[in-house]
Amino acid sequence: MMRQPVYFMLALLLLLIVLLLGLQVGSFESDAATIVNAFFHYNADNTTHFAIIHLRLPRLLLALVVGASLAFCGYLMQAMVNNGLADPYLLGTASGASLGAVIVFFGFVPITLAGIYMPPVFALAGAFIITLVVVMLGYRKRQLIPAQLLLAGIAISSLGTAIVGMLTFLSDSEGKLKAVIFWSMGSFERASWTLLPYPAVALLLALLLFAFYQKQLNILLLGAERAQALGVQVAHTRWIILATVSVVTGFAVATSGPIGFVGLIIPHVARGLLGTTGRWNLLFCAFIGGFFMLLCDLLSRLIYPPAGLPIGIITSFFGVPFFVYLLFRKNYNFRG
Amino acid sequence: MLHDDLGREIRLPKQPERVMALASSMTEMLFAVLDTARIVGRTQNDDYPAAALRKPIINNYPVDYEQVLRLKPDLIFTTEGITPLDAAARLEEMGVPVYYQNYKKVEDIFSGLVDIGRITGREQQAQHLADSLRRQVAEIRKRHQQEKNPQRVLAITWKDPIYVYGQNTILTDKLHILGAENAVEEVFEQPYPALTREYILKLNPDVLLGDSPKIFEEKFFSLYPELRRIKAYQHKRLYDPTGNLMERPSPRVVESILELEQFLYP
Repeated sequence: MMRQPVYFMLALLLLLIVLLLGLQVGSFESDAATIVNAFFHYNADNTTHFAIIHLRLPRLLLALVVGASLAFCGYLMQAMVNNGLADPYLLGTASGASLGAVIVFFGFVPITLAGIYMPPVFALAGAFIITLVVVMLGYRKRQLIPAQLLLAGIAISSLGTAIVGMLTFLSDSEGKLKAVIFWSMGSFERASWTLLPYPAVALLLALLLFAFYQKQLNILLLGAERAQALGVQVAHTRWIILATVSVVTGFAVATSGPIGFVGLIIPHVARGLLGTTGRWNLLFCAFIGGFFMLLCDLLSRLIYPPAGLPIGIITSFFGVPFFVYLLFRKNYNFRG
Repeated sequence: MLHDDLGREIRLPKQPERVMALASSMTEMLFAVLDTARIVGRTQNDDYPAAALRKPIINNYPVDYEQVLRLKPDLIFTTEGITPLDAAARLEEMGVPVYYQNYKKVEDIFSGLVDIGRITGREQQAQHLADSLRRQVAEIRKRHQQEKNPQRVLAITWKDPIYVYGQNTILTDKLHILGAENAVEEVFEQPYPALTREYILKLNPDVLLGDSPKIFEEKFFSLYPELRRIKAYQHKRLYDPTGNLMERPSPRVVESILELEQFLYP
């Protein structure tokens, strides 16, 4: 297929353009020359240089990593439960992370412990705990049952959301409410060089791992029984997917909040462009997920400076029309 | 027939005898003008003056309509942003008129006091109080007329995300009285806009209000180490104003200005 390299090159080019544009948007005025200087003749006393290297760049990279993580995990989940409606939050990650963060925001836990800012830590813990509960409920007769896992995910997520709602309702301060609302719609404003490595390393390891599993994933789309007959160790593959999705999504959500939609639609976009069983689908999916998130973050800051609209709003606004177009464009079909 | 600060029409069959407020600042206003006996309740947040604590509590958000009916005030005072308009409409359906006040400048608080006095038949007392407060503000203003390099002050209301006092809050006027400026010059739609770290770096304020240096260090600068570059941090100009004085536009606004004066001119 000649299409694939073209799409990759095109995506890479667009990504670079958006990165460069993104580096220019901010409160300090900065043209292309300033950006080049910030990179190659960095002057620590120059606040514009500082803003470009320590605020803008980590933010863009975090958007890239989180977008890629969510799209990648969405792809894995859809393959695992063999359903195009699946997304990375199916395991309860989003509501678990929200619950964890809200517990800190509402003062049940000190906001910093030993100098470490607690909301992301608790968000990560919440994501893992809820995922564990969902997986336990979805596990029967020593194997994972996707339909049961789905239902358990929906039920436990609702429970988490209900607890978050209750805590929010009982809150006594407007500030806390704003913090929760802001958090629940996602943001990259907290990005920094110290935060970035966690989601980035998780994603890179996962990409590396699944470089060896793309074939199994494609076969899994034929259904568990046929995959088993074709020599795929279905149970084993599902566990690997599950563990990967919970870790990668957990880190993404803990750093940036539960950003919706990317994990659902980008896998469809990837399959729509490359075909259902392309060899590089996973990688490409992560790639355009990152690109899409980067673009959304840039738009959010252009539309509503300086703080930017919550990123979850933008991902839906711009994602849905494209998604609808994709569905109608040709006889796009989840199973190919 | 009256018009409140939002231009809403309010019909009062007689001069209101029993009144109450649905905002903490407004409770302070009422206690400053009226006899304690005429105030029939307070909200769950009100803690000043001490006499307010002895009044029955009405939840102000969401409004506890049943408790309002039980206490049956002739008129409720409130401020914009605290009581939603639909709650006011509902109260009026139940026969309890709602009067909104809205303050953009310190002076609006004083004319608000006079308004309350006029509506409740305590015009003279209210006028007297307002004039005395005006004189105190004028004196403070005189002390700082000659400030050559106005200090630029950023007041934080929430740390994650960062929300601050915007240009169109009453703080801006308080700072002007003190010969200083709100560092946020841009006018945002919201009174308390969310800002980015980069925006704050660019503002580079001289003074940061919102918490003690210790709390700022633990919960703000440890989270945003990049902001350690701002002048306020470098020169250790971090102060913790009394929350109720900052937040409530009340007759204690003079106290609030005096407190800010101590921070700005130590």
